[in-house]
Amino acid sequence: MKTNVVLFNVLTVFFLVSAAVYGFWSYMSFGEIEVIGFSAIGMLVFLTGFIGFYLAKSAKNFTGPEDLPDANIEDGEAEIGFFAPWSWWPILLGLGAAISFTSLAVGWWLLAIGLPFSLLALVGFVFEHSRGQHAH
Amino acid sequence: MNSVKKSKGRIVVDWLTTTDHKKIGYLYLITSFVYFMIAGVMALLIRAQLAMPGLTIVQTKEQYNQLFTMHGTIMLLMFATPLFAGFANVLMPVQIGAPDVAFPRLNAIAYWLYFFGSFIAVAGFFTPQGAASFGWFAYAPLSSTTFSPGLGGDLWVFGLALSGFGTILGGVNFITTIITMRAPGMTMFRMPIFTWNTLVTSILVIMAFPPLAAALFALGADRKFGAHIFDPANGGPMLWQHLFWFFGHPEVYILALPFFGIVSEIFPVFSRKPVFGYRTLIYATIAIAALSMTVWAHHMYVTGSVLLGFFAFTTMLIAVPTGVKIFNWIGTMWRGSITFETPMLWSLGFLTTFIFGGLTGVILSSPALDFHLSDSYFVVAHFHYVVFGTVVFAMFAGFYFWWPKFTGKMLNERLGKIHFWLLFFGFHMTFLIQHWLGVKGMPRRYYTYLEGDGFTWMNQVSTVGSLLLGLSMLPFLWNVWVTSRKGVKVEMNDPWGFGRSLEWATASPLPRHNFTSIPRIRSESPAFDLNHPEYASPDAKAPLKKGKK
Repeated sequence: MKTNVVLFNVLTVFFLVSAAVYGFWSYMSFGEIEVIGFSAIGMLVFLTGFIGFYLAKSAKNFTGPEDLPDANIEDGEAEIGFFAPWSWWPILLGLGAAISFTSLAVGWWLLAIGLPFSLLALVGFVFEHSRGQHAH
Repeated sequence: MNSVKKSKGRIVVDWLTTTDHKKIGYLYLITSFVYFMIAGVMALLIRAQLAMPGLTIVQTKEQYNQLFTMHGTIMLLMFATPLFAGFANVLMPVQIGAPDVAFPRLNAIAYWLYFFGSFIAVAGFFTPQGAASFGWFAYAPLSSTTFSPGLGGDLWVFGLALSGFGTILGGVNFITTIITMRAPGMTMFRMPIFTWNTLVTSILVIMAFPPLAAALFALGADRKFGAHIFDPANGGPMLWQHLFWFFGHPEVYILALPFFGIVSEIFPVFSRKPVFGYRTLIYATIAIAALSMTVWAHHMYVTGSVLLGFFAFTTMLIAVPTGVKIFNWIGTMWRGSITFETPMLWSLGFLTTFIFGGLTGVILSSPALDFHLSDSYFVVAHFHYVVFGTVVFAMFAGFYFWWPKFTGKMLNERLGKIHFWLLFFGFHMTFLIQHWLGVKGMPRRYYTYLEGDGFTWMNQVSTVGSLLLGLSMLPFLWNVWVTSRKGVKVEMNDPWGFGRSLEWATASPLPRHNFTSIPRIRSESPAFDLNHPEYASPDAKAPLKKGKK
């Protein structure tokens, strides 16, 4: 986890410096900041900074055996998580999204099919393995 | 596992509803390879059209424009990018000792969005006016409805947007998997280089694809809903070019980095040495990724309104970490016991081709030279050396290397070598000559040329080369067929004998959920430590510590 935090923080600092240099350089050359590139790099600062911040927060509460150099395989949790064995919903949701996107190109009427289809598939996808709020 | 023979319908349903990272990976690999061959046929048509001055093999100029537009679009966004997702899906979870990816169903959605999105973009060919024809980077105002009317362009815009969301979701999934699902003892600096490059590539994906999605939706709004975002009156052309290349240049590294990862796995195995400079390779990858976000406008020198100094500097700077990588690969082979099995051959083919492409890249990074060469065949030659050199050569290296892990059978070595040499000569014959064609002044994307231009013989060399290149697919397809029919089953975990990362410590083909047991991880080569204890890293030889909680 620490390595990941450093990775994202390094990227954040790099983009911060790049945005500053780019902004300053373009101001010196054109008399105004070149806004498109400046804001694009600037937003990367927030993207990587946010991920780095989140990882640093979670690293405080949790360090797993995957980050210990002398951990053995049996130190891990016996149960890694729940993995859906198969699911119909991804292809249906994909199809729904595809119909909706095609409607933007072809005509709004197609959205009458695409939107309900997508919503239905989305609900199916989200609640597929749900057994109620507090049940396991 | 399952000795009961499944009915054909059951198999189809299995593939359509799968959430298994390996099956999704194979779906990606198969789909992207099909697109590779479709776009390859388009390339052959383009080359046939240019074989002689004044030909009309492609009937109209509009059709020619559609061909090169869709050739570029398909090769970059429907072949190379999903090919990365394919390799990463199959191998990355195994390499970190995980049973699957973090979000198996999200993974499946990512694939289906790519599948449907690509189909929508290509479906333009079935409309009366044909597919998009404004070049794969869709410069404004050419891509507006005034200059490129028709449904094909609209389908292109929204199909790519949909497919792009698939890529983003896939990237998020890979990052989460690598951060949270590593096996105990698999610290970040013990991950195989391929996995590291998958992580860094995925970070690039989440940085580069959202600007593309935004730009595409804005273009869609212009085309369909009468917006004026990319109207020249508002400085739209520069806005589009900035946004597009802010995606487009990192995209090149999204294509390159995972394939650098593949060859980084192959060189040590066939040199019988650990990778030279493991950490430097990783730092170089990160440096390339960071720098690649700051070089985009070197595609825009000729607009005359970008910071030449800034972009020339960052572009030349990015050659440094790339050079470090090449130094490391050569260092890995240096004084190793090298053998030339097909995966190694392809990796060497990658290295030679990529170095050429990298060097012409440094030439183009200099504005003074770029002004002369921009939009000429020199640029075409340059990026084919870079992209074909990395993606296609390393793809085949990966196929031959991991085929036993995919299918349980080894591809035929002799056919593999015929395949390699045909493709190698075909490729260099097609594209080397295009450097001189560009220097002589032939512009890219022209429908035809005149006898008096003096381009004829060079174009003929290139076209003959492209035929050879096309033919080289036949031994490969034959090889796949023969292997599936008559290939001998691989009964061992590590058929190459010197495999290093975890996929060589489990069965071939890979079992569902990947492992029945995972070896102790004490270095970046756990499978090698397991199979060759006498040469294992010092950490791996230390007595077994009692596990601590």
